[in-house]
Amino acid sequence: MYGWIWRHLPGNAWVKAFLSLMLVVAVVYVLFQYVFPWAEPLLPFNDVTVDNQ
Amino acid sequence: MAATTEQEQNIGSPAPRRRGPGRIAMAVSFFGELLITAGLVLGLFVVYSLWWTNVVADRAADKQADKVRDAWTERTTGGPGALDTKNGIGFLHVPAMRNGEVLVEKGTSTKILNDGVAGYYTDPVKATLPTTGKTGNFALAAHRDGHGAKFHNIDKVKKGDPIVFETKDAWYVYKVYAVLPETSKYNVEVLGQVPKESGKKKAGHYITLTTCTPVYTSRYRYVVWGELVRTEKVDSERTLPKELR
Repeated sequence: MYGWIWRHLPGNAWVKAFLSLMLVVAVVYVLFQYVFPWAEPLLPFNDVTVDNQ
Repeated sequence: MAATTEQEQNIGSPAPRRRGPGRIAMAVSFFGELLITAGLVLGLFVVYSLWWTNVVADRAADKQADKVRDAWTERTTGGPGALDTKNGIGFLHVPAMRNGEVLVEKGTSTKILNDGVAGYYTDPVKATLPTTGKTGNFALAAHRDGHGAKFHNIDKVKKGDPIVFETKDAWYVYKVYAVLPETSKYNVEVLGQVPKESGKKKAGHYITLTTCTPVYTSRYRYVVWGELVRTEKVDSERTLPKELR
C-alpha cells in the first residue's frame, strides 16, 4: 500500500518525500479535525457527569 | 520497496525469477501495513485526547473567561443582564488542584464541558446557584482528562481544603468536608439538595464537584463535597480572600 503510493508519486526521491509528508499532514488534519471529534463521544473515556440514563 | 527489488535483481540469482513478490506475499504485506496504520491512528487518537483537546479547550475557555471579566468591569451599574449565564457565571478556584481559575457555565452537556469549563447541573438535578442565597447544592462537573482537564487533580483535594467561587460581586468560600473517591455513574443522589451520602441531614449551602475516575477512564465518578463557610464582598481591587493568597 505505502509502496504503491510511493511508486505513483511523481518526481525524484526528494519530491516524493515532500509529497508524502504533505499527505501525512493532510491525513492527520482530517483525523484531528473531523474523525476524532466524531469518534470521541462514542467511546467511554470522557463521561464526567452522573445521570440516570 | 522499489530499491530493494532492484538490488535483488542486481545481485542476480542464477535462476530467472518472477518480477515482484507473489500474490500471497502482497496480500500479507498489505495486511501488515493496515495493522501498522491502525496502530498509528490509535496512537494519534491518544495524542488527540490527552493533548490536542486541551489546547483547543484552553483556548476556548480563555476567550470566554476574558469576555466574562470584560463584562464585569464594563457594567458596573448592574441592571438587567448583570448575570449573563451564557458566557459563564463566575470562576471556581480550588487551590489544591493547582489549576488557577475555572470558568463556570450553565449545563453539563459535552458541548459545554468540552470548552474547558466546569458546568453546573441542570439535569437530572437542578443545581442551586450560590448567588440566589437559597439553601441547596451547587453541583458542578468538569473533565478529568482532555478538554482542559479542569478537574484532573481532584484527588489532591482533601477534607478541609477551600473551594472558592468567584462572581462579579462576591467570593463564596466553601470548605471541603467529604470526599467520595468512587461511585456509580447512576448515583444521582450525590447531587441532592442535601447530599445524604456526605453525612449531612439538614439543608445548607453545599457545593459538589463531580468528575470521572479512575484517570483516563469513565468507569466511576469522583465526588467532592463542600459547605459554605462565608461570603465576602468583592472590593474595588478584587482583593483575593485569604484562602487564595
